[in-house]
Amino acid sequence: MSAVPAVAEPTGAVWLDFLKKWARIGGTKIFNFVAGLAILVALWWLGVWYITLDPALEHFRSFAPNRAIFEGIPAMWEFGGIQRGLGASGYRLGMGMLIAIAIGVPLGILVGRSELFGDMTHLPFQLLRMVSPLSWEPIAVIAFATWDRAIIFLIVMGAVWPVMFATAAGIAKIDPAWFKVARNLGAKRLHVLTQVILPAVTYDVLTGIRLAVGVAWIVLIPAEFFGTRAGIGYTIEDARENLFYDQMMGMIVLIGVIGYILDTILVQLLNRANWVRET
Amino acid sequence: MRTDVAARGPEGSAFARASSRGARHFVLGVLGVLVLGIVWQIGTWYLVSQPETRAFGNFGPIPTFQAFPRLWEQGRIQSAINASLVDRLATGLFIAALIGIPLGILVGRSKWFREISHSPFQFIRMISPLAWMPLAVLVFPGWNWAIVYLIVIAAVWPVTYATAAGLAKLEPAWYKVARNLGASRIQILKEIVLPAIAFDMFSGLRLALGVAWIVLVPAELLGVTSGLGYAIKDARETVDYSYLTAMVLTIGVIGFLLDSIFVALINRYSWYHRRTAS
Repeated sequence: MSAVPAVAEPTGAVWLDFLKKWARIGGTKIFNFVAGLAILVALWWLGVWYITLDPALEHFRSFAPNRAIFEGIPAMWEFGGIQRGLGASGYRLGMGMLIAIAIGVPLGILVGRSELFGDMTHLPFQLLRMVSPLSWEPIAVIAFATWDRAIIFLIVMGAVWPVMFATAAGIAKIDPAWFKVARNLGAKRLHVLTQVILPAVTYDVLTGIRLAVGVAWIVLIPAEFFGTRAGIGYTIEDARENLFYDQMMGMIVLIGVIGYILDTILVQLLNRANWVRET
Repeated sequence: MRTDVAARGPEGSAFARASSRGARHFVLGVLGVLVLGIVWQIGTWYLVSQPETRAFGNFGPIPTFQAFPRLWEQGRIQSAINASLVDRLATGLFIAALIGIPLGILVGRSKWFREISHSPFQFIRMISPLAWMPLAVLVFPGWNWAIVYLIVIAAVWPVTYATAAGLAKLEPAWYKVARNLGASRIQILKEIVLPAIAFDMFSGLRLALGVAWIVLVPAELLGVTSGLGYAIKDARETVDYSYLTAMVLTIGVIGFLLDSIFVALINRYSWYHRRTAS
């Protein structure tokens, strides 16, 4: 981009302005964002092109980005696979996260505030945390009447730990003097909770929620491979079984895009809640 | 108003305090596990007392612990651990480190690369790893390699970004000092960069282990006939509930042990000599 003006000079003012504008855009955030994704799509396309040079692998052409984005996704939209999938998966993810937060934040406050409770629950919680969430799947299927509830349970088993441990870590960072000040100013227990603890730990809780959404996102897709008849995991499995590879690739793209948007929203919330201002 | 702990006594009593704190930790930890076991047993009693769930008594802690010797004799636990840990998890984490650490150095050192790679890396990172499963099965010759691929694609990002974050904390003056003292490039890497980022690298690897552990089990629920995930599926299909809970417990214990290894490594390489509150 830097050599552009020298080459473009003789071709006339219109070209020069155009190229100068591009040179200015080069290096900005938006440019890098688009260029990075363009490189990714180009590499993807090149990979498929290289594989399909072999005539025996001709059918792999439907894996290409153009096929996935312009044929796979519209086809899935038309029969409603995307809308239904997003509705079902969104409900499970939302309910799972809500329950994980409703359990994780109070538990985290307890772990952070009470040394006895924290020490006593450390080992059992670490053990439960390291039980890979999907290993609960057979038990969840027996214990819960519907697939929806079983999947929500799996999400909770994955997502509750990051929320809990982040909340506890946030509590540990609170200056003990704040509690004294609050008590001296006549704050009751409830006031201490709502006026001191909760505002102080919001940032850490959100950090935990961001991690938890990441985990829930990993757990959700395989949980929907089995049994259930709706959800983005089911849609991708369905496309594979019907050999609709363009739809399968389109679904992978969609999963990435939705995950990216979810994560970006949480990062924005995090930046807003950060009360440690760097100087 | 805080009383200064260190000023109150000689080294010896500080050690005594530390070890009594360790003992307290241990006792309370064991107590906590016991409480968990009791809650589990009470839940089982409740299940058995209800007529429609009477058949689920084998979910309880006593049948579960009775199942361990049987499963060990049959070699099921050993073969599942061997397939999951050695063939898949270790291979996957090793490849993730092999890719992630250089990638992290690149992200940390080159502003251009960091900015241009941000959008594609974030996009790929947020593709749920198991969504790759149908593609991985088609692309890789065996199930084993497909599972290794899933672990790598999930585990490479924590390693990459932790390494980059570690590099960002390096003081630029250190390079100058090293160069002034006549250090070669390799010496700078060995004496300054690696010790400085070891802490972050191991933190990244610990996160990577956590993600890989979540991915491993569902990946093994499909297709393969070995490993911890398969054992769970096998137990469910043969309606052997004590086998099922024994495997769930095994997964938790092994995950905990692996996690503890990384916590020990992190504490060992922490410059601040501050314990990580795992």
